[in-house]
Amino acid sequence: MTRKSASREDIAVLARVAGLDFAPKYFDELVEAYRNIEPMLWRLRQGRSRADEPAHVYDPRKFMPKD
Amino acid sequence: MDHAAPKSIGNSSQLTELSIVELKTLYAAKSLSPVDVTEATLKRIEDVDANLHSFITVTSDAARTAAKESEARYRAGTPIGPFDGIPFALKDNVETAGIRSTSHSKLLFDNVPTEDAHVAARLKAAGGILIGKTSTFEFALGGPSWDLPFPPALNPWDTKHLPGGSSSGSGAAVAARLVPAAIGTDTGGSVRWPAAVCGIAGLKPTYGRISRRGVHPNTFSHDHCGPMTRTVADCAVMLGAAAGYDAYDPGSIDEPVPDYGAALTGSVAGLRIGLVTNWYREDAAPEVTAAVDAAIAVLKGLGAHVAEIKLSPLSNYIDAKTTISLSELYAIHEKDLKERPEDFGYLLRTRVMAGGLIRAEDYVQAMRWRTELATEMMAEFRRFDVLATAGWLTPAEPADPDGVDFFKKRQVVTMPFSLAGIPALSVPCGFSPGGLPLAFQIAGRPFDEATVLKAGDAYQRVTDWHTRKPPIA
Repeated sequence: MTRKSASREDIAVLARVAGLDFAPKYFDELVEAYRNIEPMLWRLRQGRSRADEPAHVYDPRKFMPKD
Repeated sequence: MDHAAPKSIGNSSQLTELSIVELKTLYAAKSLSPVDVTEATLKRIEDVDANLHSFITVTSDAARTAAKESEARYRAGTPIGPFDGIPFALKDNVETAGIRSTSHSKLLFDNVPTEDAHVAARLKAAGGILIGKTSTFEFALGGPSWDLPFPPALNPWDTKHLPGGSSSGSGAAVAARLVPAAIGTDTGGSVRWPAAVCGIAGLKPTYGRISRRGVHPNTFSHDHCGPMTRTVADCAVMLGAAAGYDAYDPGSIDEPVPDYGAALTGSVAGLRIGLVTNWYREDAAPEVTAAVDAAIAVLKGLGAHVAEIKLSPLSNYIDAKTTISLSELYAIHEKDLKERPEDFGYLLRTRVMAGGLIRAEDYVQAMRWRTELATEMMAEFRRFDVLATAGWLTPAEPADPDGVDFFKKRQVVTMPFSLAGIPALSVPCGFSPGGLPLAFQIAGRPFDEATVLKAGDAYQRVTDWHTRKPPIA
């Protein structure tokens, strides 16, 4: 499948959704940063079986009062 | 090398040459006082560290007080244990009561905690003498950076090079004989990378073995604390003092702490080693490959059984871990990023920003990928006692302020064992033609630090890489 890199406008939308309202200098940094992680995210978005568990365990005993 | 043999001690520089194992032997024999060793340590830092920048804060007064208390215990014949009287440093992302703890960041420039981190409290309770706080990449991630309130640490083997990171100051300080022991933190390799390129031993224990409470978070799901020392035998002593269950750390696991020193038998006869070759033979500098293969040959010569294996490509572990890390990092720093972005160094700021654009479903998919990759790796422990591979794929990098690069494309060979959360030890195994240290890693089953340490110690008993001193020392 052909991938199309996010445009500055696309990244601006993502930033707005994330509540990031940067000055132009920092927005340029954000675009640079996203360009670096975008290929990684493409590689990550692979098909998985429904039952594949994340490596995350919640142990409710850990949150009991200690005394 | 017999690591218990006392050296002739004539002056203060010789005192800073002593290992933990040697110090405790001499203390117990009343041949040496923790007060003298502490004074020698402080003097050495004063003499040398202006060239290394390994310490952010030196706690001279508190160290002298602790040293006198330790001396009194030895005089009374009541030392607390093998870590009593041992000078040590803490990475500056470890909180210390009454002592500034900055994570090398302007964001925490004036942060003076009221409580010790669990690991700091344990080491002090074991009689350790806190000498100071060491430099790091900003919040154990953004570095090496020249735009922070403190300069980056430099490598004592060649100060035109860096000591790796993020536990950069801890690695440099131990290698330069400023302290015999330091605590680093390791999320993707931050104990083992500096250990590898500084020529010391560094252990990332099992996730949950040493408490993270009071340590500034980098990635909750991957953060570890670990000992950094000049020898593997010293790592065993420091781990024994630092490890233990902490009911207040949700990631802490209640497993007994064995006597790691007792595991160091010197024998690896029959030990089954799975050598993961595809993580280094394809990408490492040629001198790294040669040194790692030679180290494995030494273990084979001692009676270990070695088989070469391949696991998933390194890039898979890096993609999964980086996605998880950036997501968690953003959650940690979102407020500061929005309110005071100018107070971050460039490297940390851009990483945190990137995390803000990762979708929740990407984070979960990365955690599912972690399960897959860890399960694949753990299956190898059906047929092997330990896995081995390179410690780092290159010698130390040049210290180049103009070479700062967002997401520098490093092949982070330490990351698979971070993702798996298993104990992994970096052991020096040679030098580059330019005189910079090289290392290999040994990793074991969860909570089987003892076997990992045993293998590393057996290697050091018949090699001398770890005894070589950097020019600055």
